[in-house]
This record gives sequence, structure tokens and C-alpha cells, in this order.
Amino acid sequence: MALLVDKLRPRTLDALSYHPELSDRLRSLARSGDFPHLLVYGPSGAGKKTRVIATLKELYGPGVEKIKIDARVFQTTSNRKLEFNIVSSVYHLEITPADVGTYDRVVVQELLKEVAQTQQVDLGAKQRFKVVVINEADHLTRDAQAALRRTMEKYSPNLRLILLANSTSNIIAPIRSRTLLVRVAAPTENDICSALHLAGKKEGWTESEVLNKRIAKESGRNLRRALLMFESIYAQNEKVTDKTLIPPPDWEALVTLTADEILAERSPARLLHVRARLYDLLTHCIPPTTILKTLTFKLVARVDDALKPDVIKWSAFYEHRIKLGSKVIFHLEAFVAKFMRIYESYLMGMDF
Amino acid sequence: MDIRNFFGGKPSQSSSEAPAKPAAKKEDSSATRKRRSRKVVDDSDDEDDLAPVETPATKAKPKSQSKPEEPKEEPTTSSDYFASSKKKTRPAKTTEKAHPDKANTVAESPKPKKTAEEPANKGQNTTRGSTKQAAKVVKDENLGADDIFASEYGKAGKGEDAYVARDDSDEDDDFEMLEVRPAAAAKMTQKKQSSRDDDDDVVMEDLPKIPAAKARPGRKRKSEALIDEDEDDDYQEPQKETKKAAPKAKAVTSPTAKKQKAVPKKAKKEDKPESKELQDIFDSIPTIEAPEPPQGEPKKFKFGAQQSRDPAMSGTKEIPAGEENCLAGLSFVFTGVLESLGREEGAQLVKKYGGKVVGAPSSKTSYVVLGGDAGPKKLETIAKHKIKTINEDGLFELIRRLPANGGDGKAAEKYAEKQKADEAKVRAMAAEIDAEEKKREAEKRKISTTTQGSKTTANVSQTPPSSQVISSSDLWTTKYAPTSTSMICGNKGAVEKVQTWLRNWHANAQADFKKGGKDGSGIYRAVIIHGPPGIGKTTAAHLVAKLEGYDIVETNASDTRSKKLVESSTLGVLDTTSLQGYFAGQGKQVESGKKKLVLIMDEVDGMSAGDRGGVGAVAAIVKKSKIPIILICNERKLPKMKPFDFITYDVPFRRPTAEQIRARLSTICFREGLKIPPPVLDGLIEGTHADIRQVINMLSTARLDQKGLNYEEGKQMSKSWEKHLILKPWDIVSKILSAQMFSPSSTATLNDKVELYFNDHEFSYLMLQENYLRTKPALAGKYHGKEQRLKSLELLDNAASSISDGDLVDRMIHGTQQQWSLMPTHAIFSFVRPASFQYGNMHERPAFTSWLGNNSKHGKLSRYVKELQGHMRLRTTGNRDEIRQQYMPLLQEKIIRRMMDEGKDCVDSVIDLMDSYYLTREDFDSMVELGLGPMDESKIKLETQTKATFTRLYNSRSHPMPFMKASNVIAPKGKKEMPDIEDAIEASDGEEIVEDVKNEDEEVLDLKKDKYVSLPKKKKAPAKSKKTKKADDDDDGDDEEKPKKARKSRAKAKA
Repeated sequence: MALLVDKLRPRTLDALSYHPELSDRLRSLARSGDFPHLLVYGPSGAGKKTRVIATLKELYGPGVEKIKIDARVFQTTSNRKLEFNIVSSVYHLEITPADVGTYDRVVVQELLKEVAQTQQVDLGAKQRFKVVVINEADHLTRDAQAALRRTMEKYSPNLRLILLANSTSNIIAPIRSRTLLVRVAAPTENDICSALHLAGKKEGWTESEVLNKRIAKESGRNLRRALLMFESIYAQNEKVTDKTLIPPPDWEALVTLTADEILAERSPARLLHVRARLYDLLTHCIPPTTILKTLTFKLVARVDDALKPDVIKWSAFYEHRIKLGSKVIFHLEAFVAKFMRIYESYLMGMDF
Repeated sequence: MDIRNFFGGKPSQSSSEAPAKPAAKKEDSSATRKRRSRKVVDDSDDEDDLAPVETPATKAKPKSQSKPEEPKEEPTTSSDYFASSKKKTRPAKTTEKAHPDKANTVAESPKPKKTAEEPANKGQNTTRGSTKQAAKVVKDENLGADDIFASEYGKAGKGEDAYVARDDSDEDDDFEMLEVRPAAAAKMTQKKQSSRDDDDDVVMEDLPKIPAAKARPGRKRKSEALIDEDEDDDYQEPQKETKKAAPKAKAVTSPTAKKQKAVPKKAKKEDKPESKELQDIFDSIPTIEAPEPPQGEPKKFKFGAQQSRDPAMSGTKEIPAGEENCLAGLSFVFTGVLESLGREEGAQLVKKYGGKVVGAPSSKTSYVVLGGDAGPKKLETIAKHKIKTINEDGLFELIRRLPANGGDGKAAEKYAEKQKADEAKVRAMAAEIDAEEKKREAEKRKISTTTQGSKTTANVSQTPPSSQVISSSDLWTTKYAPTSTSMICGNKGAVEKVQTWLRNWHANAQADFKKGGKDGSGIYRAVIIHGPPGIGKTTAAHLVAKLEGYDIVETNASDTRSKKLVESSTLGVLDTTSLQGYFAGQGKQVESGKKKLVLIMDEVDGMSAGDRGGVGAVAAIVKKSKIPIILICNERKLPKMKPFDFITYDVPFRRPTAEQIRARLSTICFREGLKIPPPVLDGLIEGTHADIRQVINMLSTARLDQKGLNYEEGKQMSKSWEKHLILKPWDIVSKILSAQMFSPSSTATLNDKVELYFNDHEFSYLMLQENYLRTKPALAGKYHGKEQRLKSLELLDNAASSISDGDLVDRMIHGTQQQWSLMPTHAIFSFVRPASFQYGNMHERPAFTSWLGNNSKHGKLSRYVKELQGHMRLRTTGNRDEIRQQYMPLLQEKIIRRMMDEGKDCVDSVIDLMDSYYLTREDFDSMVELGLGPMDESKIKLETQTKATFTRLYNSRSHPMPFMKASNVIAPKGKKEMPDIEDAIEASDGEEIVEDVKNEDEEVLDLKKDKYVSLPKKKKAPAKSKKTKKADDDDDGDDEEKPKKARKSRAKAKA
């Protein structure tokens, strides 16, 4: 009864439908008996995790699919207790250190050491080492990454790491040099279309080729998103045609509305109103950079060409500041104020 | 010489309490020292002098106005003349004879009038007795004169005729021109030819001199008065009054004349863009203006002319230094934004010179100082009452030109009168205190005599000095503590309330506190007095108790008042009567009335950590007390004062007004020989926020090395004594964003602004960020239409980007770097600089920062998302953001929307879907809360039936749990004990391959404390299905490859 994305998730390397050469490489790695540390990176919805799980299955057999969540409590040096969830099977552990924010170093140190110092007891196991999958490795703090360095070498007989990241830019060079970098590119639109087609066939839905293409385009080559959109369309419409509307997610609808409001009126009162909207988005856990990016593209689509570079420039400027600062609303608001000013001054053809 | 003296004396008399002084003084020196004779001389002087003066006046008149005098005979008809020419009419009135004179010289004019009335009055009533009547008559005349002016205004205002009329008068009436011009310096020559040249000169020279001369005598007079006592007063007063009568007559015209002059001129140039009705008003004024001779102050007139010539200039202006107290008796209203003066400064300036600043204009307002952007409401009232409007130059000019103590204007006159009354009161009060002290001394003496009995008389004679020593060593606050309710400053009603409550206490006790009585105070055993410090709460409580004949038991913060101690110590008090009712100390009378006790608990809110349970204990005592209890505190609203709700009678004390305190303070100053003018006292009162105690302490300090205080010193003193109260976030932001803060004339330095930030460095910048969009930026004020909009957007952008800069600094301070030395930088970027762009009038009250609320909401919702993701983790590969942005919309669609649309029928399948993602009932609520825009929480409306079905069905089913028990806390280091988790994993490893979900359910059950065991019904379900589960487990053990299927089948089995 699960959603399509999860129901139809391929479980083995053989079942993966695109990037066959990557699947082959992973398979041979898994079979080689000399499995390296991996750093798997690629955009969201490209299939990194799916591939990693399939690889693990290749390594250990079906035992890795018996997973559970284990809630553990760690104590920081300042005696703060951190609750931390670990997804684990007998053969592997999956952690998301970014869950505990700045305390990720504690978790990495304690947990990895603990795992690394225990040898595999099950003599029947295919591999002598355990695998630790670290999600969102690019959100690890520098401290935590530094803590990983030595562990990776010292405990390599007992432990392999698979780091998952969206980009390698945040990962320090020593880690990168100790891992095998595996890039999982986003699927092409055709890949997505065929995946959608497969899903539609399995569900017995009458599908439309054109709509599938539109979904692929709209999803930004994010297969997860495409599948979810696909299902969402079929959930909302009895009959699907080429022109069926793709419902935007709730937050995107709100950003679009905000963009319209900004374009309609430029004034302090309107900025006050927009601030409330931005607060709304932020409190509902939409990341500020996503808000800024979406908003920018909505605005850019509606302004004159001459203004576009400027808008993009300021958007980038304030995105940077969002990363540097602490109170994101200040920067989002500053961007909106800046946009209002340049837009108004462009419309009036004058400047102060 | 005579005349000079005469004129010199006049203005001073009228201006202040020292009316008779100057004249008297001078004569003193020359004449004999006998006061009585002096008085007589004075009186006669007046008349004598008048005669000569009058003749010139009358002479002068004929010269210039020989014709106008004719219509004099018919006052009624004269009013008709006003329209065409005012001057003519004025002479027409018998009493207004004075007018023409006025036109010529300030000082002279009153005299003729006086002569006119006084002889008559005096003739009837004979000498001193008549003075009052004379004054009255004069007043009446004043009224009449006022009316006339009013009618003039009215007429003038009616149409443009006024203008025409004036033109006519200018052209036709040579006489009038003569009169008008004399005022202007240019015309002086003409006048000089007249017999009164000398007089004119005298006036001009004397005016500046007067203040100094007068000030000194005035003070002397006070001290003299003390010595000379009542008899002397009798003599002086009549004299004063007669003298005053004369100036008053003058006053009728002079201020109005001045005003009119000042007004129209400014109005003309300033208010051109004003509304039509205003225009009318201003148009009408000129007719009055020109004819109105300016009380013989040529300079003034000049000023007016100047003004009209060059229109309002921008840029900072030099603030003039005027004569002391020159605005006395005038009241001002500031409205709009002045050119160079901040409103605060303007008010300060006016106060400095003895004027009064009022918030809203009324008919009593002397001037409205008008700036740009004046409030329409105020303009309306101005129009209605025809108040004179001036701009800030006018104000400066007023200050520059007006003689000390307001000259002899009508307002000044009134002011002087009031001051005299005040002084009389002060003296009376001083006398009272004297009497009190004497009484005390006497008592002491009596005691000492009785105690010492046979001891020598020498002793007795020694006592007075000793007692004096004692009293002088007392703190002033003790020395001048009020001894009767009438001496308490302000809060009369509150004191009375306490008094009646205390008086009726025993009667109420008889009724068992069931009857409320008139004011409802009868049901309370205790009263709680609350108010800010230094306004006499404790004093009032003691006084009332004393007056009502109670003996006082007092506890205050100096006693420990924990629960135990309060209980034990008050127990002794509560059912006892005072011993003082039966016994008395040696030599004292037994006060039989003093059998009653009252418990005064001071500083109740001062019960702190050491007094644990004290408040509760006091409250408990209050409930069953057998004696009245008076509780005193500063803050009634504190949560810790809550136990007193409903069991005590609340009596709030408020800060007394400056008026209420001033008299008392001047009494003290007077007795201590301090010379402090009222405006300075007011300044002190204001500076301390009406804290009487503090002002008295300040005076006492000042007395140590000074004999008096001037305005500047007073201000400085109150500043250095200023209680450093921390501004509330709201005040901080409204202050920094106020239009005055950054105006060119503002005296606030950058440091002052930064200082504001540090009043509350955690809130100030957040508050500013919240409110900077709510102002009407003053910098955009000079633009219009589209330009204004663009300008305001520019300012907005500058402010917003500065706030953004500030946040980067904030990160450096509060981030990992902890660079606290950057705080001032943060203050500038995030607080001062944005305000420097956006300052201006606020549309509304500043709002509290919404960042905090949103931040905590964000925290809460991200916890929800985290939890959701944690639950869904076995099924999905997405991280939190992906869950929120990609899964949430579909899940909302499939779960929430579906339940909204399809009702309870779909509940079953919805629960299936939730189970497949391990979502709990709480997660459902979180999902609802996480909705945005079209799926906003407020838009989600589930039918109650659906909801009920959902809850019921959900609870009746068992659900998969993805969790394993939490293992023990792992210590950061050192302890190398093997954690449980290891065992668990190892164990499971060995035997049954842990098939996640189901087994965990059982394990979870063991751990009662585990937070994931939240649904009570869940416990039952697994228990029931244990057997089936176990069977399943076995099966699972076999087919390991498809755990998912197994899980499903299990779920079905359970269902």
C-alpha cells in the first residue's frame, strides 16, 4: 500500500534501469572482495541510496534488507543528551549525523569506534567488515569529517564507509582522497519517462506519453519527484490526458503567490506582507535557499530581460549571505526589498 | 527721575510675585526706611506720577489722533468702526483710552488707564480697601477688551473687506499710520519729536534692566516678609494689587497685539499651501495685525517685518538666549515638524524660559508653534479657537524680545498672580511647619522639664538649641515628612480610601467582613498599597494609622520574612492590643485611644530568595487576621503577588503631578533658604519622574554648597541623579525610529543611539527589524507621488541590506568565533543604520518581534519533520528536506485530502497507507500542521465523524513499529563498558534473525519508560496477537528474502 516510489524501488543491481555501466562497476566492486570506501554523490532523486542498498545486497545477500531503527542516546561533553536514530541490519549501519547538528562529531567518534572495534562474529557472513552508510555527508561539520579521517584507515579491516552526498564540495580533501568517488548522475528525461511508463504499466493506469514528458521536465530530472508527481496526478484525476494539470506542491504554490504579490505592488506595506509569507514558508521547514531559488525563478520569468541579470546577481548575493548569517529572514527580506527597488526604478526609468 | 522709576518698576511688578518691590526698593533707598510710610508714599506716588504721565499721554493722543477721539462717546457704534479701522474704535472706549498710549509706549499705557479707574474707585472705597475692587474692575475691563478683540476677529474673518479696510486705513488714516509706525524703529523719529521721546527711550532701556533688578528684590522680599510677618504683608499687598491692576489693563492689549502681529506675518508666508479654511483665518488676521500697535516694543515689530520679508529659511538656526522666565504664563502647543528644532528641544526651550507646553491646543493656548505636516485635528482646533500660530522663528523671536518674566503681558500677569498665590501658600505651609516644630520643641521641653524635674532651668533653656540640632541633623525627608493628610502630595483619594477602610475596620470585623460597605472595602481584612517608589506610600500608611489612632507594628525588607518567621513573629501581634493604650513612658500622657494595632508590612514584593514562602504565609495571615494589615509594594502585577488577589483591598498610588509637589518643595526650599525658581523645580520633578523623596534628597544635596539652582544646573543634576532605567524593547524602537532622533537639529550623538541598542541588546535589533517597515520615512517626505514611492523603496532597501549586514556580524558574535567586541559594530549595522534611513513617524504602536515566535514554531515543525522522516526511514531514502518537499504534498493528498473528500469510508485504507510508512496518529496531526498554502492548517476541515472514526479505528488496530529499544546512554569517553546495543545486535545475530518490526513491539513493551510506547491500546493489541506473531516470525525466518511481504501478511493477520 506504499507509494509507487517505494513500492517499485529496485532491490538489486540488476533491476536498476539506468546507468548500467555504473551498476556493473558496483557489482564488480562488491564481488572483488576488496571493497573500498565509497563516496557516492549526485543530485537528489538520482538513485544514490537505492544503488547503495543494492550494492550492499550484492555484498551480503538478502540479510541487509532486514533493517530496524535503533534509537540511541549519546552524551556530549557538556552532558547534553542526544537522541540518535540508527538504521541497521546485521551487516550494516546507516546514520545521519547531521540530525544532531553541531554535535555530529560526538556521534561519529563514538559510534564508528564502537563498530570498528567489534569484529564480525558471524562466521558465515560473506564479508569480514561491516559497512557504515553516512547520509548527508556533505552536511557533516569539519570536526566530524576530521574525526573520520583516521578512523577510515585505522579500522579498515573491520569497517567500510559509504558516504552519501549531494556534492563533494563540502567534503574535505583528505576524505575525498581516501574514498572511491562514485558519481550518480541524474536520470535523463527519457530515463524518467521509461520509469514512469513502467510504473504506469504495473499499476494498470492508462498513461499519456506527453504527460510523462511534461512530468519528467517539471521534476527537474529528479526521479523520486517525478514518481511522486505521477502518482499525485493519478490520485487527483480520474482520467488523465495530455493536458492534465500537474499540481504544484503546497509550498511552491505559496512561493508563486508571493512572487505575484511582489510584482503587483512594491511598497513597505507589501514587504511587511511578504515577510509574513516568508516566515510561513520558513517555519514549515522549507529551506531558505530553496525559497530564494524558487522565488527568484518565479520573478525572473516575469521581468524584462534587461533586469534579469541584476535579479540573479542579487539572488546569488543573498543566498551566500543566508549561508553566512544566522537569521535567514533578514536576508530573504533584504532580497525582496532589493528586488522591489530595482524593479520599481526600472519601471519608472529613473534612479536616485 | 520719577517717571523713570515709575516705568522701571511697572513691568517687574506685573511680571512676578515681586510687584511692589522695585518701585518700593528704589524709593526705599531714597526715602525713609519706614515701611508703612513707604507704602503710603507709594500709593501717593502712583497718583502723583500718574498725573504727569497722563498729561503727556493725552497730549500725545491729540497730536496723532485728535479726530478719532470724537467717536469715543458711543462705544456701541465704535465696534462698527473696527472693521474699517481699529484704532479709532479703541480710543472710543472710555477705558480704552489706554490704547493709543499703548501704541506709543508699552509702559505708559497702563498708567492712564489706572488713573482713569483708580481715582474713581479710590474715591468710592477709600485707599487700600478699594484695591480689590479696583482689580476686579480692571478685570472686567479686560474681559471687555477681549471681547472686542474677538468681535474684531470675527468681523475681520468674515470677508475680504478686512483687507480692504486695512488698506484704507493705511492710506487714509494718517493718524493711524502715525500710531502704527511708532512701533517700528523707523518711525521713532516722529515720536521723538513728541513730548514722549524720553519715555520711549526709557522703556527701551529699562526693559532689559528690569529683570535683574526685579529678580533680586523679589527674593529679598521673601526673606523680608518672613521677618516682617503679617503686618507687613498687609501693607504690601494692597500696594501690589493696585500696581498690578494697572499692568493688567495693559496686558489686555499687549499680548494680543503682539500675538496678532506675529501670527499673521508668519501665517502669510508659511501657510500659503495650506487649506482654504486656514487661508481664510490667516487672511483675516492681517486686518487686526497692522492696526494693533505692538505694546510699544519697536524691536518686535521690526522682527515681524523682517520675517515677512525673507520667508522661512531652512538650516540650523541659532537658538537665542532670552531673558529669564520671559515666556512666563504663556502656553505653547507644538505641532508638526519644525524646521530646525526638535519637538523635544522646543518644549525644553519653552520650559526653560518659564513657558508651558501643552499637548493639544485649546482656547487657552497662547501660541501654536506650527511646523510642516501639522496634524489636521490640531489645525482644526486652531481654526476654531483662532489661536495664534507662529513658526519656530517666531518662537525664537519671542524669546529674544520678550522682557524677563514675560514683561507685563496679560499672561505674564496671570502667571505672576498665580505665583504670588503659590508663594502665599508656601509661606503658609512654612509657617505650619514652623508651628509644628515649635510644638514639638515645646513637647520636648515639657518632657525634659518633667523628667528632669527639679533640674535647673538652665537645662530647659538648653533644650531648644539641642532640639534644633536634632532636627537639622534629620534627613530632609524625615524632617519634612507630612504630618497630616492634607500635606501628602497627590493621591488624596487613595489616602482617603485607606483611611475610611481603617476607620471602619473594627465595625467590619464585627460584621465578620461580610458587608462591603459603601466602597466595597468592608470585606477586606487587609489593604495593599502599590505604586512606584518615592511617592509617599509608607508615609501615607503611617500617617493614616496615626490619625486613626492605631499603634503601628511594622516589618519591612530589613527583616527576614520567610514563611516560618512570618508565622511565628506575627502570631504575637495578631490577637493583641497595644500596650500604649494603658501605659506610657515617663512624663507622657497615656493615650487611651492607642489600644488598637495595625500591622504594616512594607516592601512586600521585596521578599526574595531568603524569604521563601513568605508571600504565601502573609497571604494566609491576611485571611484570618484579627487586626488590620496594610501591605505596601511597588509592583502589584508580579506573579509572586498573586496570592494577594481577592483577599486584599487594592489601592493604587500614582505619581503626583508636578503641581502637587511643587508647593511642598518650594516650602522646603523657602525654609532652607534655597532659591530655586519654579521652572527648575519642575525640571527636577520631571527628571526624577515625580519621586518626591529623590527631589528632596537632591535639594538637600544642593543646599550643601549652593544657595540656588538655575535651569541648567537643575537639569544637569537631575540627569546625574537619573535612575538608570532600562528601556523596554518597545520604547527603544519607538525612540530610535522617532523623527527627532536623526533630524539635523537632534543633539543625540551616535553614541547615544548605540547606547539605545545596549538597553536590551538581545531585543533591540529584532524589534527594529520588526518595525522599520511601519514608519513613514521622514527622508522621503520631501518627495511626492511616484518619486516618493521610489525614494521610500530605496530607503527600505538600504535599511534591509544594512540589517542583513548586521546579521553577518551577529554570526561572528554568537557563532563559533564569539567575537563579543563586535557588539558596537552590530549595534550600528543592525540597529542605528537601518533606523537612520527609515526614521519617521510610526503609523501604529511598535509591534513585538515576530522572529522569536516564528523561530520556535520552526523548531517545533522541524522536530515534526524529523520525526516523520525517522518513521518513514525504513521505507524511503529521502532526507528531511526531500520528505517535506516531495513526499509531503502527495501524502497530504492521499491522507488528509482524501479523508476530507471521501469521509469515513476511506479511513481504513488511509490507515493502511500510514502503516506502510510507519506513521503514527501523532504524525497525522503533524502532517496537518505542516501544510502550507492550499493545504494550510486552517483550511483543513475534517468532519468530526470522520475524525472520530479515524481515531477509533486507528486505536483499535495494532500498528507496526520501526523502533528498537533505546540503549543506555553512552558516556562521552572513558567508560568502556560494552553498551547494551552491542549485546542486542550480537544476540539477535546469533539466534532468531531479528525480523524488525514485530519483535520490537514486544521489546518495547518491556521498557515502560520508552517514549515510543505512547498508545495505551497498543499494548493490548500486540499481546493478543502474540501467538500469531510468533508463528509469523517462524515463517519469516524461512523466507528472508521478502520481508516486506511478510510484514504485509502480518499486518493482515493482525487486522
